[in-house]
Amino acid sequence: LETLNFEFRAGLQFIQRRVQVGVVASGNLEVLLEPEFSPVSRVRVRTSVDGYREEWMAILRTFFGRHDVAATIEINDGGASPPIVLLRLEQALEESRK
Amino acid sequence: MKTDSFAEKTARDRARSLLDAGTFRELLDPFARLESPHLPVQEIVPQSDDGVVIARGRLGDKNALVLSLEGAFQGGSVGEVNGAKIAGALELALRDAREGKQIFPVLILDTGGIRLQEANLGLLAISEIHSAIVALREFVPVIGVIAARVGCFGGMAIAAALCTFLIGSEVGRLGLNGPEVIEQEAGTNEFDAHDRVLIWQTLGCRRRLAMGQIDLLVDDSVDAIKECIATQINIRVTKKQREPVARTREITAQTRKIQDHATADLEPGAAKTSSSGRGRQWYNALMENATEHAEGKSLLVADAQWGTETIRAISVVPNPLARFPRARQGQMGVEEGWGIARAIWEAIDSDLKIKRAIVAIVDVPGQAFGLHEEQLGIHLSLAAAVDAYIAAREFGHPVVALIVGKAISGAFLAHGLQASEILALDDAGVEIHVMSEASVARVTRRSLREVAALAQVAPSTARDVHSFAGLGGISRLLKVHDAGEPSTQAIEEVRSEILQAIQRARADAKTPRARLDSAAGRASRTMSREVRRVLESQWYVEQ
Repeated sequence: LETLNFEFRAGLQFIQRRVQVGVVASGNLEVLLEPEFSPVSRVRVRTSVDGYREEWMAILRTFFGRHDVAATIEINDGGASPPIVLLRLEQALEESRK
Repeated sequence: MKTDSFAEKTARDRARSLLDAGTFRELLDPFARLESPHLPVQEIVPQSDDGVVIARGRLGDKNALVLSLEGAFQGGSVGEVNGAKIAGALELALRDAREGKQIFPVLILDTGGIRLQEANLGLLAISEIHSAIVALREFVPVIGVIAARVGCFGGMAIAAALCTFLIGSEVGRLGLNGPEVIEQEAGTNEFDAHDRVLIWQTLGCRRRLAMGQIDLLVDDSVDAIKECIATQINIRVTKKQREPVARTREITAQTRKIQDHATADLEPGAAKTSSSGRGRQWYNALMENATEHAEGKSLLVADAQWGTETIRAISVVPNPLARFPRARQGQMGVEEGWGIARAIWEAIDSDLKIKRAIVAIVDVPGQAFGLHEEQLGIHLSLAAAVDAYIAAREFGHPVVALIVGKAISGAFLAHGLQASEILALDDAGVEIHVMSEASVARVTRRSLREVAALAQVAPSTARDVHSFAGLGGISRLLKVHDAGEPSTQAIEEVRSEILQAIQRARADAKTPRARLDSAAGRASRTMSREVRRVLESQWYVEQ
């Protein structure tokens, strides 16, 4: 288990409501997405697979590059592949807009 | 139109799908941040809801409480936090029921049983769940649903058997021991865990229906399951007088099935676990002036007069001639579970005024792991014993357990854990845990050395009596000079301790939940208490 913390400059859109999606299972993950009102978006990742800090950074950069949001995100990861991680993040954002 | 599969959903979506649209209200949701503190210290990623969803909502014109286990997270296993969420919610429903406020509980069981990483904490939580289900059943039907991928195993299979009405689907499986564990404990010849046909023929809900161990088989469809639940709630509320006898109390009918079961092909047993024989030794020592009571030789039952107290002692002991080979070394098998139930119900039914004390002398190396046991529904047999102990307590019999040797897993749930007072010899030969180290290693994919080292970071996985007492599981530890060869003086001292425990149980028939209020329970089971505290604060919607 490795815990990773990331910070990004917060975007302009606020999250409307907090949501949880996904399950911590092999190759899967859960995402908790919450509003953030400070200038910094924070992400905490707990993953069962150690040693992939750079890859997580790249995934999160992609996500915040696509979406100009201010958010606090917690990820509990059971070893999901990058596309699955991005999919869950997108799903969480989508759910928060419902 | 495509059917909306129940099994394919997550636990949260299953709970949501059963409640009327817009009425789902989750208690202790992921943002309550009550996750397992025991998993990260074992290098396991926790889940924000600890794998269970507790939701209130409407089902037609009724208030419902849905408890939905997530099989995809750690096999739906029950640890301290999710166990406390389930037990705590059932306890609140019971409190409401006693005040005339009906809320109908539905358990969605997608669980492998006790979470091995939290071992004895899961065991204690499940004993609380059992107690709450049986108490609640007197007020409202408790409905269980086994319709997801993991199925329902271990201590939660016992919980399923305690439910008023049990619904299964073709996707569901029900059994005490999972195929891998039976194979590990009893060998491939006993049960080949790769034989899918055998698994489904033995454990599948279709088979369980034929055996009368579930009540209804439905399609894997949200609509079908929801409709069935709503119907059962309505039938059972309006026709209370015609309530059928609980499955766990059909002693004559169920034991007949066991007697009729062909055992000619059974080979001599070679189970790996064995009893120390202490159960018989202590039973004989304590019950020297007992009136004999013929109940078969693997189950010792007798009454004795100790001063003003009449006590009925019950012990499961090794018996090389037992019909079922996997239960010949002191294990709790199908005959032993039903035998305990019969012995206790006999006392309940005949004691109208003065309720004799029930004393469980515990030295059980585990439940019997075997194919025949699973075919016959050993989970139900253990549930019958659990139910009987709870009933005795509820009917005013003081129930006391004395652990003299091993007290393990399902066997301990069925024989000891429902006592108001649990006494234990303070001795290295006393062991309390949930599974053999070899099976733990296999199921958790760890080496035996890693399993042995776990106890350092997770005391609930330790096996000694002091660790279990540290969780609040023991009311009193009894020092004896030689637990294997007790002296006359030691026997007298233990008898006196049992009598005092009986007096305490007469004054206050404590349920397993009370162990949380012991000094040790307060100190060590902080999450079990915190979960209940927050749950209670969220139980009603704020005005």
